[in-house]
Amino acid sequence: MSHIWWAWPLCESLHFIGMAMLVGVAGVIDLRLLGMAKGLPLGPLQRLMPWAALGFVINLITGFVFIAGNPRQYVGPPLSLSFAAKMLFILLAGLNVLLFYITGLKRLVDRVEAGHDAPLGAKVSAAVSLFLWVGVMYWGRMLQFFGKSF
Amino acid sequence: MMGLLQWLEGSSFAVWLKESPSIWAYPTLLFLHTVGLSFSVGPSVAIDLRLLGFGRRLPISPLDSFFKIIWIGFWVNAVSGTVLFVTDATSKLANPAFYIKMSLVFIAVGVMVVMRRRVFRDPDLDARPIAVFGKCLAVASIVCWFGAITAGRFMTYFAGG
Repeated sequence: MSHIWWAWPLCESLHFIGMAMLVGVAGVIDLRLLGMAKGLPLGPLQRLMPWAALGFVINLITGFVFIAGNPRQYVGPPLSLSFAAKMLFILLAGLNVLLFYITGLKRLVDRVEAGHDAPLGAKVSAAVSLFLWVGVMYWGRMLQFFGKSF
Repeated sequence: MMGLLQWLEGSSFAVWLKESPSIWAYPTLLFLHTVGLSFSVGPSVAIDLRLLGFGRRLPISPLDSFFKIIWIGFWVNAVSGTVLFVTDATSKLANPAFYIKMSLVFIAVGVMVVMRRRVFRDPDLDARPIAVFGKCLAVASIVCWFGAITAGRFMTYFAGG
């Protein structure tokens, strides 16, 4: 890929675009769960979620490209601390989504109409989601500083 | 002008930011710039997608609250971006991607201001379908924001970095 000079920055650009879609769309839903823009009914709002998922898939693919391009920077040895922390936070964010579904919160939230509060459990889940995704961005940004992997 | 920029770059604040081994200097600035990006571009894209017809059962007017978040993200990036610029002013000004990025950011913000005035202040916003003009604004917003992100990334790869 190195002979097409723009391929690498293009992958990086896509990784940032995917990030904005994921964090932005999921963040809008999280903020509504926490009580912002209560005029939005939560059932229809969650219809935007596939766009966050699309952002995640874009980042999964471009992320694999980065690792394939230079595996030692990430998995070592030595394993990059920022990379490990980033993967852990993504895993926890995934677990948070899983819990949202299996605890039945998703079904409760689907029925929250305009002007109504989301259940407390959903608010906790939203706060955890915001924290974890901002954390993922933090560790991603620290890749080139912590552990000197770059 | 060049003298001023060189003075800025050489100022003790800029030198500290660039050379400090502290995780609170340059890395934190980059992190803030990334979070600001997500919380300005992300909610903008969510609003744009709704204007383009996705999530049709969702009322549009309450989305107006999220412009606050977009503006906060924008100002976080205006400030962190200005500081990042100061550490490296002369080479940034020699970088064509920098001018493309700034132009796209200004157009994107302009599009957002027009969108609020022309689309969101319409009292019948949720009573009738979005006009072609509103949809054009939504497309322009997505194109400019994604273009600005891309130009920002490409800055590293042009002369001077």
